[in-house]
Amino acid sequence: MARKMLIDGEITQTNEEEAHYDFDLFVIGAGSGGVRASRFSANYGAKVGICELPFHPISSEVIGGVGGTCVIRGCVPKKILVYGASLGGEIEDARSYGWEVNEKVDFNWQKLLHKKTDEILRLNGIYKRLLTNAGVKLFEGEGKLVGPNEVEVTQLDGTKLSYSAKHILIATGSRAQRPAIPGQEFAITSDEALSLEEFPKHAVVLGGGYIAVEFASIWRGMGATVELLFRKELPLRGFDDEMRAVVARNMEGRGVNLHPRTTITEVIKTEDGVKVTTDHGEEITADVVLFATGRAPNTKRLNLEAVGVELDKTGAVKVDEYSRTNIPNIWAVGDVTNRINLTPVALMEGTYFAKTVFGGQPSKPDYRDVPCAVFAIPPLSVVGLSEEQAIEQANGDISVFTSTFNPLKNTISGRQEKSVMKLVVDAETDKVLGASMCGPDAPEIMQGIAVALKCGATKAQLDSTVGIHPSAAEEFVTMRTETRRVSGSGKPKTNL
Amino acid sequence: MVSSLAAPKLTTTFSSSTTLLFSKNLPLSLSNPFLSLPLNLTSSVTHLHCRSLSFCHRHRRGFVAASAEPDNGADSARKYDFDLFTIGAGSGGVRAARFAANFGASVAVCELPFSTISSETGGGVGGTCVLRGCVPKKLLVYASKYSHEFDESHGFGWKYDSEPKNDWSTLIANKNAELQRLTGIYKNILKNAGVSLIEGRGKIVDPHTVDVDGKLYSARNILISVGGRPFIPDIPGSEYAIDSDAALDLPSKPEKIAIIGGGYIALEFAGIFSGLTSEVHVFIRQKKVLRGFDEEIRDFVAEQMSVRGIEFHTEESPQAIIKVADGSLSLKTNRGTVDGFSHIMFATGRRPNTKNLGLEAMGVKLNKNGAIEVDEYSRTSVPSIWAVGDVTDRVNLTPVALMEGGALAKTIFHNEPTKPDYRAIPSAVFSQPPIGQVGLSEEQAVEQYGDVDIFTANFRPLKATLSGLPDRVFMKLVVCAKTNKVVGLHMCGEDSPEIVQGFAVAVKAGLTKADFDATVGIHPTAAEEFVTMRTPTRKIRSSPEVCQAHNLFFLSSCNNVYSLRSQLSNVVGSLTSFLN
Repeated sequence: MARKMLIDGEITQTNEEEAHYDFDLFVIGAGSGGVRASRFSANYGAKVGICELPFHPISSEVIGGVGGTCVIRGCVPKKILVYGASLGGEIEDARSYGWEVNEKVDFNWQKLLHKKTDEILRLNGIYKRLLTNAGVKLFEGEGKLVGPNEVEVTQLDGTKLSYSAKHILIATGSRAQRPAIPGQEFAITSDEALSLEEFPKHAVVLGGGYIAVEFASIWRGMGATVELLFRKELPLRGFDDEMRAVVARNMEGRGVNLHPRTTITEVIKTEDGVKVTTDHGEEITADVVLFATGRAPNTKRLNLEAVGVELDKTGAVKVDEYSRTNIPNIWAVGDVTNRINLTPVALMEGTYFAKTVFGGQPSKPDYRDVPCAVFAIPPLSVVGLSEEQAIEQANGDISVFTSTFNPLKNTISGRQEKSVMKLVVDAETDKVLGASMCGPDAPEIMQGIAVALKCGATKAQLDSTVGIHPSAAEEFVTMRTETRRVSGSGKPKTNL
Repeated sequence: MVSSLAAPKLTTTFSSSTTLLFSKNLPLSLSNPFLSLPLNLTSSVTHLHCRSLSFCHRHRRGFVAASAEPDNGADSARKYDFDLFTIGAGSGGVRAARFAANFGASVAVCELPFSTISSETGGGVGGTCVLRGCVPKKLLVYASKYSHEFDESHGFGWKYDSEPKNDWSTLIANKNAELQRLTGIYKNILKNAGVSLIEGRGKIVDPHTVDVDGKLYSARNILISVGGRPFIPDIPGSEYAIDSDAALDLPSKPEKIAIIGGGYIALEFAGIFSGLTSEVHVFIRQKKVLRGFDEEIRDFVAEQMSVRGIEFHTEESPQAIIKVADGSLSLKTNRGTVDGFSHIMFATGRRPNTKNLGLEAMGVKLNKNGAIEVDEYSRTSVPSIWAVGDVTDRVNLTPVALMEGGALAKTIFHNEPTKPDYRAIPSAVFSQPPIGQVGLSEEQAVEQYGDVDIFTANFRPLKATLSGLPDRVFMKLVVCAKTNKVVGLHMCGEDSPEIVQGFAVAVKAGLTKADFDATVGIHPTAAEEFVTMRTPTRKIRSSPEVCQAHNLFFLSSCNNVYSLRSQLSNVVGSLTSFLN
């Protein structure tokens, strides 16, 4: 297959020039974005090398693993724990359906942890094979730039390898951060939370983002007492306010203790565990304190400054719409660029990078209507705009449709938990601007809605689709009655 | 990446702004009431007020019928007791009655007394869906699925001192309490909409008169929405068999049950009883289950159900049921006799409830299956008589009956002749694992378009890798090669019905494979697979030369050349015969 290189829109490279690089592309970091970019580049005919830190569930400057955050310390292990925790609620619900279940059901954390680790090792192996099969050369070790076309890989035994490459792609992802709170060393991050030796019977989770919410749900589902502390009135800042309230209500309903407008001023280790003091002066002693207060891009040890790659003030690599840094042959995709930090977005960026650089088709990732999910129990999933965003961006009226219903399953289980769905529609064009749902299966339900939304579906098109009965999803195509109409000019009234 | 940003505008039949505006007055959105409940059940003062205003006005004008046909000699000045009399308060009837009332019509609906088993004398407000179909079925699916979840939970670290056991009587009692609640809610919905509910058996005595247990009611329009009922073929011993009505309300759990039939009802009950730990045998006349579904889905679901312990007896037709001295039942088929059943269930189809309605005398035409023949507006051969739902045997699904009922109300009482739109109706089979699908099967697409690209995924879901259970998921996209439109979408695996709904919007809107590809996945879900299917599993081409070219394409670009080639040649082979 003909190899095309694109630099500044030109295809200028001659074979002679190519010959003097070891690789057409060298990728630092074999997570979602890096693996995708290297495989696809190789499929376009490029000679590709990739380096990644040695495998371990808990990441550090010198530890990582092929598969990256998603596979080893994120989406996958998290979802496994969510499955495990959701079964707790299922077992409870089963009783009303006539199942005689022991009063006391045991949950064995070590067993689940062990199986989770097995699964991650399996996936780690699959990712390595994917690279091999695509003809990508994998190096284990820490990669750093030594020049605009030169990467140095420090291997486990300390030996250093040096390779030249026409293009370099930075895909080193990000890592959980601890805030500078006195005693922060006694707290853990999500990395450790996914690999705790002992199940925490009592946990304090600090943070209002999706990671905090997910861990609170996981531990609570497995039977722990969980305190969730967050700065705002509601968790999940940035999401639709109404849905935030639903998530909070559901978490409370399932027994998570919510502490809004609360932060931690100090953490100390005591004989009974770890004690936190809140800014309200409250003291809570728990087995584990999780800081889920944000992640930072892994850019520190890449020697980027030597080459002059620009970072933004959060430490993320600055890139243009094609994922190119200010150095023309150095590119970056995924969380290290801090655009939308989601696996499928990193995949999209990786794909488009390969297409742009080696496929001869300059392609910009499209960030409109990226759906996402929060795997709380029950989960939240959204695509498009929140009501607040829609109102802010709108010129005309915004039509809001909501449906709050008791899922059929709950009628017998007696579980007091409503599912909530919401559509935000441009009243003039009838275009659906945003959809959200909190309730069982929300992430699965939202994917198809996301296709429709991305393609500019109107409310009438949703309405004209026949429902699948009895499902929860059919509610999205049967919302006949407008809940409210809000003028785009006015700001939403909220004190959240 | 190409994506059509402006999706094609659809000819919508059911969602004009008029409806939207109007239904703002409605107290609640009740398209699927049991899911939406409980909501505030209304005090519709405003609504009644608005009705009385518009009613007089419209009544004087006379409600316009769908076509220009004369009103069957009905004197437009004649006073009727009701503008609409609906026989049967199931999904279609209730919907039509409520919407008609909301448009200002005076409406009555009659329904048989509540019974979990349908008959000439038993029915109940809510109809098949609420009392003997979708709802109780889904509740039992929920109940039976727990056994699989208990199995799964072991892999996730959960442990029980003794294995959970299901108590049938608790389950059935809880289910029936829920059905009673729902039928009550349905009655309230009718009442709040201002519809008169009459309990009893309705019979048409002239084109404008209904007799309910001896009492006569006159109506400008009559709607028949009496639904269908399970049918048990007449074989020796069929009196020992049960149908799906009875199966939903058995006094005790079957120890060992034979289910006869390969349709969705048979598969759903097979899953229910198997999950509740009965021994289940399914007898099907054909080689495969679910005739009419995509062939690969048919194979896949049968295989997955077999793995969960259901025994399929294919190409085996029942000939007789014998009651043995010990009380057990034996099923004699064309292939032999299987003994020891506690129950034998027929899931061999349903028949429209058109007997003893007075239809023949009225000249209402029936088709050969006994279903009422209707035109596109749901009007029968008698202009003042209409029919919606299963009694017309079009697409026998609750949401379709709702669509027909809604369209009918619009046609007759809102001056807006509306045809239900039967394109791309999604549906689900609540087997275990369940199926969701919309649009064409691969076979239908090949027949219709000739050149079709097929994308499939067959994988072990994340949950199964942990639980160690042999569960798999199958997904399929059928794409018209010429237009790139996704014309069919099929899935068998956990959550399929929930997953397919959103995609049904996309398929109905005529979106392309490129549109699917342009959508970012939600990770980690099963559904994201539908937007990440990059390589066609096979390309089916009607012309042999093209097939050859694609054969070469596969040779050069795929690792698994052999299997793809053989798959392709199979397709080409079958196609050649099709084309000849």
